[in-house]
Amino acid sequence: MLFFVETVTSGLLAGVMYSLVALGFVLIFKASGVFNFAQGVMALFAGLTLAGFLSGTVPFTHQINSALAMPPWLAIAATVLVMIALAILIERAVLRYLVNQEPIILFMMTLGLAYVLEGAGDLLWGSDVKVLDLGLPSGANDWLLDNFGLYVDQLEIVAAVVAAALVTALAIFFQKTRIGRALRAVADDHQAALSVGISLNTIWAIVWSAAGIVALVAGIMWGAKSGIQFSLSLIALKALPVLILGGFDSVPGAIVGGLIIGVGEKLAEVYFGPLVGGAVENWFAYMLALVFLLVRPEGLFGEKIIRRV
Amino acid sequence: MDDLTFRAAEAVDFSTRIHFNTALEVMEIDLSNVNFADRAIVRQFYDEVDRQMATAGGRWYFLVNYENCVVAPEAWDDYALGGKIANVKYSNGTARFGASEETRQTIRERAEAERFRSNLYATRDEALTVLASLRRRHHFLGRGSRLDPGRAADVLLKIDNVSLRFGGVHALQQVSFEIERGEIVAIIGPNGAGKTSMLNVINGFYHPQEGSITFKGEKRNQMRPYFAASQGIGRTFQNVALFKGMSTLDNIMTGRALKMHKGLLWQFVHWGPAQAEELEHRKAVEQIIDFLEIEHIRKVPVGRLPYGLQKRVELGRALAMEPELLLLDEPMAGMNLEEKEDMSRYILDVNRQFGTTIALIEHDMGVVMDLSNFVVVLDHGVKISEGPPSEIQSDPVVIRAYLGMGH
Amino acid sequence: MFYREVGQFKSSYAADQAIFPIAQDRWFVIGVLLIAFLVVPFFVTDYTLNAVYLPFLIFGLASLGLNILTGYCGQLSFGTGAFMGVGAYSAFKLTTAMPELNLIIVFLAAGLITAVVGMLFGLPSLRIKGFYLAVATLAAQFFLVWLFYKWDWLRNYSATGQITVPPRRFFGVLMTGQAAAPAAKYVLTLAMVTVLALGAKNLVRGRYGRSWMAIRDMDVAAELIGIRPLIAKLSAFGVSSFYVGVAGAMMFVVWLGAAEGGDTFGIQNSFLVLFMIIIGGLGTILGSFLGAAFLVLMPIALKTVMVDALGLSAVFAKHLEYVLMGLLIIFFLILEPHGLARLWQIAKEKLRLWPFPY
Repeated sequence: MLFFVETVTSGLLAGVMYSLVALGFVLIFKASGVFNFAQGVMALFAGLTLAGFLSGTVPFTHQINSALAMPPWLAIAATVLVMIALAILIERAVLRYLVNQEPIILFMMTLGLAYVLEGAGDLLWGSDVKVLDLGLPSGANDWLLDNFGLYVDQLEIVAAVVAAALVTALAIFFQKTRIGRALRAVADDHQAALSVGISLNTIWAIVWSAAGIVALVAGIMWGAKSGIQFSLSLIALKALPVLILGGFDSVPGAIVGGLIIGVGEKLAEVYFGPLVGGAVENWFAYMLALVFLLVRPEGLFGEKIIRRV
Repeated sequence: MDDLTFRAAEAVDFSTRIHFNTALEVMEIDLSNVNFADRAIVRQFYDEVDRQMATAGGRWYFLVNYENCVVAPEAWDDYALGGKIANVKYSNGTARFGASEETRQTIRERAEAERFRSNLYATRDEALTVLASLRRRHHFLGRGSRLDPGRAADVLLKIDNVSLRFGGVHALQQVSFEIERGEIVAIIGPNGAGKTSMLNVINGFYHPQEGSITFKGEKRNQMRPYFAASQGIGRTFQNVALFKGMSTLDNIMTGRALKMHKGLLWQFVHWGPAQAEELEHRKAVEQIIDFLEIEHIRKVPVGRLPYGLQKRVELGRALAMEPELLLLDEPMAGMNLEEKEDMSRYILDVNRQFGTTIALIEHDMGVVMDLSNFVVVLDHGVKISEGPPSEIQSDPVVIRAYLGMGH
Repeated sequence: MFYREVGQFKSSYAADQAIFPIAQDRWFVIGVLLIAFLVVPFFVTDYTLNAVYLPFLIFGLASLGLNILTGYCGQLSFGTGAFMGVGAYSAFKLTTAMPELNLIIVFLAAGLITAVVGMLFGLPSLRIKGFYLAVATLAAQFFLVWLFYKWDWLRNYSATGQITVPPRRFFGVLMTGQAAAPAAKYVLTLAMVTVLALGAKNLVRGRYGRSWMAIRDMDVAAELIGIRPLIAKLSAFGVSSFYVGVAGAMMFVVWLGAAEGGDTFGIQNSFLVLFMIIIGGLGTILGSFLGAAFLVLMPIALKTVMVDALGLSAVFAKHLEYVLMGLLIIFFLILEPHGLARLWQIAKEKLRLWPFPY
């Protein structure tokens, strides 16, 4: 029983991480209809940049000059600025020219973007594994271990708290602020939004910035756990089943979906994996989402669609 | 204030107050001296009507005696609603007589609001005369074919009591009508009346919760759209639904999908049977292209065509199916006068040359009057009238429905 | 001036429906094929055949397969890499179990097995659409790659985790392994690809192709005029997977000679093939090959320029190649979202009027 609880707990905490990445997808999809495949690479890029600032790496040379090393708060602020600059650049140089294109074209664009960012990250900061030390707590939580015998990594607890805070902030941003309302308007109908005087370009820049910051948070959390390396960009793939489960445009869907996938995956790994030779975590989440979708095509929180002709 | 006025004096036995006159097809309801004091007694009355109708079956003309009948204000809503349902379900038409001035006034107002005919007369004889003429007309329409009164009606499609809901929204409520072979039937009504939903039900895209559809003598509650298509129901759409990435020729060839059968391997090889089949159907398609006068745009991707031509190509695609019943959803929407004339000509020609039965939705009343020989009027999902165009044109219920919607 | 259709009249529907109704096009294609079959094998170096021509043909075939599904039927798939793997592993099992089996039969059978697998994973397409379906095909991608690793029987219990093709002859000519002549491999591949491409063209201009495009353009209308979505979508998945499977089998047997699960058939391959059809042009046969040519040649060209000409370090060049490749893709999408095939089309239309456009 204890083992089961531990599995579920670690599943939930991993699920929070998935939600975090899925959230980045949802933000962009909601506001621009773009399925941003580069979200994972953005997390990697943000993580690399942060690690670079922290260690004082000189871009392109990969040499460390400790005089340039920034304290964590400054490094994070600088990375946020970089991500915002990147968002503006993407909007200016690319999105602007692809207004009104079919979704698949926009999607392919993000695949191209993923290549660019991956190459650029490596060019700027080098492709070796980087340790990200922001002084976040790690190791078992003593209180839980002593009182309940549960082994829970403190880092995961921190990640869960940060993710929860971020989600709350985003929810408030979407519901209460003027820009949030504009974002929702754009999500509903580009043309209608344009015709009431909402600037698509500005909105997109803002959304991509937000997604960039979410990517940075995801990068920090995953990076603190297992270092910043190429595999970080693959967490995007982990978040995709969450999206089909929760819907591409539902913030609550991303969160609940993430938790379900996290728990389902951990349980499958522990109880089902050994039966078929292990390593099922790569595809189990997809199968889970797929089976769910076959039963309920509108997803977790979607409304039943009435088809019209 | 005391409400003694509207209290039921005594329980009424409605069963003795309903009489069937089989010869005249009239159900006579005697409400004289009845006091509908509360909703309970209203319910009691309609329960009795339901019971009697269940035994009697069929549809009847209603003749209602309102002498000294009182309906309490709080019971009026229920009373009117019950009346509407009973009329839709069982009635061929209702005539009322003997009502006090106050009751007449209320019935008139209700009729106005609910869009039914008040049909108020002073005496029973007067009311009976009107019903008799209604009955004669109905016989004329019902027994013989609408196209040729001397011939028995050959019903191609029968919509029976169809109701369709989306969640709490009633798109169609107990709609019934028939389409005879060879007819051009127009389905009209204000926006949101359920016309397109009706077509969607006919070709299996929506599945009604109640009622049935009888096509070519086979009764169905629901079917898949491709099955409807294979049974011979063709369709065009309100917003042109062409295959944008394909040429005119390919679009129309796609309409032959149900008639081509050569398998994947033959298609892969192409030369031989698949090509022979392809050419055979190409010939048929070229005839349609000739007929619609669209030879010059044969190879043009339909996305590049102007709207009027797209509508024509869409008609061509539906014709390629060689349908027995062709459903046209606003074939002339957004067209100028000249294009409308062309389209009307094509529709008439299709009907005459190929004998195709056509059901069309149209807003332009002029077109409806000229093309169709029978009109079904829907409003808020309810069939409020049907008949030949000339009658529909002067039907106060229809006029009100349209004027009420600001047309 | 020389490219004119004026004066070429068609007197039968058959002539009008020919693949290349314009005589000049016909002669051009025949010319290209003649050169490809008779000149290239004798005058192109072994290295170029191996590094450029074989991957071009094989990826062209895979793109063709994906284009049938995505370009013609509108169903996005990320599973191409794994389906190529299914073809490769099927070919491996077939040719090791029955060494005498003709290679052509091996390829076709591998394609058929892949078609069955593809149809199985195509079933969700009946309920879900668009990106949801695309993500669902990732399930196939990851599950199949996992299977390649975990199911020892698939690779005849080889300890290395690799599959390696045994020496096989095609009508007496050695076709597999390092010892085989690249020219022989090339001719066999070219013949296979030519026949399959012609078949694909026949399919897409026939009733199946029209039903696929109808589903792609407006699925509701297609259903209402009598196209069964079940048959149209599953046949697209089946045919597409068949082509991808044959490509995978040839990639393993003829070109690479050895393969290993996710390394060879991973998601990066799925994306590569997807790029090919986007850059080449969705819904065109020609585009599949143009896209394949572009993406096979580009890395080679970039590497030649950066490493050989500019003397950059290999690692740096590799990273820069990523950036440039990404930029080129974005650039192409902005320039012409309908791909190289559309550019080719426009060029032909211009040429038709050149040099007197009025």
